[in-house]
Amino acid sequence: MTAHVDTFSYDDSVVRKFTFATIVWGLVATLVGLWLALMLVAPSLSFGQPWLTFGRLRPLHTNAAIFAFAGNAIFAAIYYSSQRLLKARMFSDKLSAFHFWGWQLIIVAAALTLPFGITQSKEYAELEWPIDIAIAVVWVAFAINFFGTIARRRERHIYVAIWFYIATIVTVAILHIFNNLVVPASLFKSYSVYAGVQDAFMQWWYGHNAVAFFLTTPFLGLMYYFLPKAANRPVFSYRLSILHFWSLVFIYIWAGPHHLHYTALPEWASTLGMLFSVMLWMPSWGGMINGLLTLRGAWSKVAVDPVLKFFVVGVTFYGMATFEGPMLSVKSVNALSHYTDWTIAHVHSGALGWNGFMTFGMLYWLAPKLFQTKLWSKKLADAHFWIGTLGILFYIVAIYAAGVTQGLMWRAFDETGRLMYPDFVETVVRIVPMYWVRAVGGTMFVLGVVMCFVNLFMTWRSRPARYALEKHEAPALGDYAGKEPVFVLPAQRTMLDFAYQIRYFAAASWHRMWERRPLRFTIWVTAAVAVASLFEIIPTFLIRSNVPTIASVEPYTPLELAGRDIYVAEGCYNCHSQMVRPIRAETERYGEYSKPGEFVYDHPFQWGSRRIGPDLHRVGGKYPDLWHVRHMDDPRSTTPQSLMPRYSWLLEDELDFGSIQRKVDVMALLGVPYGDAVNHAEAMARKQASEIGKRIVEQGGPPALETKEIVALTAYLQRLGTDIKKVKPGSPPAPGRLEAEAPEKGPGQTAAVTP
Amino acid sequence: MKLSDVMSAMHLAHYAEIALLIFLFVFLAVVVHVLRSEPKASWDRARYLPLEPKSEASNSELRGTIDG
Repeated sequence: MTAHVDTFSYDDSVVRKFTFATIVWGLVATLVGLWLALMLVAPSLSFGQPWLTFGRLRPLHTNAAIFAFAGNAIFAAIYYSSQRLLKARMFSDKLSAFHFWGWQLIIVAAALTLPFGITQSKEYAELEWPIDIAIAVVWVAFAINFFGTIARRRERHIYVAIWFYIATIVTVAILHIFNNLVVPASLFKSYSVYAGVQDAFMQWWYGHNAVAFFLTTPFLGLMYYFLPKAANRPVFSYRLSILHFWSLVFIYIWAGPHHLHYTALPEWASTLGMLFSVMLWMPSWGGMINGLLTLRGAWSKVAVDPVLKFFVVGVTFYGMATFEGPMLSVKSVNALSHYTDWTIAHVHSGALGWNGFMTFGMLYWLAPKLFQTKLWSKKLADAHFWIGTLGILFYIVAIYAAGVTQGLMWRAFDETGRLMYPDFVETVVRIVPMYWVRAVGGTMFVLGVVMCFVNLFMTWRSRPARYALEKHEAPALGDYAGKEPVFVLPAQRTMLDFAYQIRYFAAASWHRMWERRPLRFTIWVTAAVAVASLFEIIPTFLIRSNVPTIASVEPYTPLELAGRDIYVAEGCYNCHSQMVRPIRAETERYGEYSKPGEFVYDHPFQWGSRRIGPDLHRVGGKYPDLWHVRHMDDPRSTTPQSLMPRYSWLLEDELDFGSIQRKVDVMALLGVPYGDAVNHAEAMARKQASEIGKRIVEQGGPPALETKEIVALTAYLQRLGTDIKKVKPGSPPAPGRLEAEAPEKGPGQTAAVTP
Repeated sequence: MKLSDVMSAMHLAHYAEIALLIFLFVFLAVVVHVLRSEPKASWDRARYLPLEPKSEASNSELRGTIDG
């Protein structure tokens, strides 16, 4: 009997759209990144405008790079390769269009909200709740379209690239939903349902796996399809790809806690994160080797083909970044690298080298096929490759040097046992020359992106008047002709059934079955991700000893809460941490190390991940109120060499006292014990603001600040880290206090680690 | 008794080791699968999917794979 042969065509119009969006947003993301790099050497480039400060623009850069540039690239890759690998047009052209336009609207919404300080302040998850809902809706539409295409496929075997796409779609949905659980206080303001340690844990479970399942797995899928196509060679080893896939999916999800070493995260979670991060070497390098060896016998082509050049360097950067990542997760290395620019160099070697170059390789390979003409200029593509490669090298070498310099200066002691560089700004000034080199490297990379844009645009211009619609033929997928095990209840099993099932398992035919059964495959991927996640999340939330309470820690006053929201909106966490690690160099510099119990009312947490400026957790009470007013008005009036932009508008803009009650009510809803403040939040805030305003005048500052935003921010900063210094009458000493009050050893040194 | 009481009383000192054992089981299962003898044609069929419907790569150029 002859199988029925279907005739069909592929939807390349959506791929063309995603391709253009990729290069346009790539240009935006890299230009904003370059602007930020220049701001670090010339802070006046914010021009006194709130929406141009580093704190507000940095999330725009990261979101544009990840979700706009890389996001559109992976969608172009998925829509192009899935149709061909599954021998089926996308399930619904309308869903494809909805996905494309919905995603672009989300990006525009991000670009319109982040510079205006509308943010959740969780890295790579800054977008506020209405946009988060839109992301979920568009993602579900994408998933329906993708799985619908799989259901209508004409190729029984699900190729390895599709496995990586499945893992991406399932896991990103899980991560996005659980990290963005918030209670809205208004249309543009919400509070995370998690607090302190638990919020930090959820955020970095998300943050790390956003790297894993948005910047790694879909790009590996891209590699497994486009690299063999460009080299005209099949992938080196399908066996290795199976090992690579399952090891990667299973291990990656555990590794998030390595972002929180030596913080208030429980020790067991930190160790678990480190162990699994080190194990990631194995699948990561398995993938890299599989990619590079696919070029066996085709290396001569690399010298003349810009597409292959981009792919080879991209995969090589993947190998370098995935070697460095596990190394940075080792606690002793992390003690030096964390909060320094070393992390920024690591991230950019992955983002520019791996994600960037794999994307450019794909775009140059796709352009002639999508626009049905020749690439406009192969020479320009070659020039892009060289200027881009040199740009990355300039960038990362300078920033690696800056990171190591910072780390070593922060922990340097002189022969008398005192900090060698006690003034934080000394460590900032030292790395400014490296920031200049970074800006040069960034400029070169941006020039490369401009070249790519011009090349693609000119290729598009020489397209035919009408695109030819290529017809394809493939037999419809009938019932599977092979033998598969039939599930038999244990009580009804014969010896023959039992023997057959043992033989089937021993021969490992189950995986071959999964490879042709996408639903079962998806269920097992979901199970791998869920098991690992729950294994870490449940104990973090349920074991009480993870977050010992401290009796003297109380909720923020209504005014401090309003000040905290200003801190969040200005993106202060992008440059300042609020986490003093139990390391001697830190307790000497900042004071008592941070305790988990100090953050129980922090919705969301503000630990940060980088110190362009000093840690702020113990800044409360360190300076008079007037110092904060002058510092925010002009940072160089208090610290002449500071790189911080001016925040003069905080002294002029009126504080929105009217919204404070609603914010306090939401906090109370989340379990923060506000007591009377639930009914009198605004009056309490005005009273405290008036007191601070008077103090500022007494200290010689300007009058009439009690209704301005600066008063709320000052109230918050003056509160930071001060609770454990208070003694509550009749309360037993809290665990943190016992250590804080250890005699003779100075503040916080009882459990401090000497690096 | 709450779930948090149960979890807090469990003293999960060997938590990381349990996680490693789970991974080891999954990893070994996948290794068994990829190392079992299967006809080279079966692996090649999967490897060649991106290159369909036609491929210029000759058989001599495919030597060096570890799949067959």
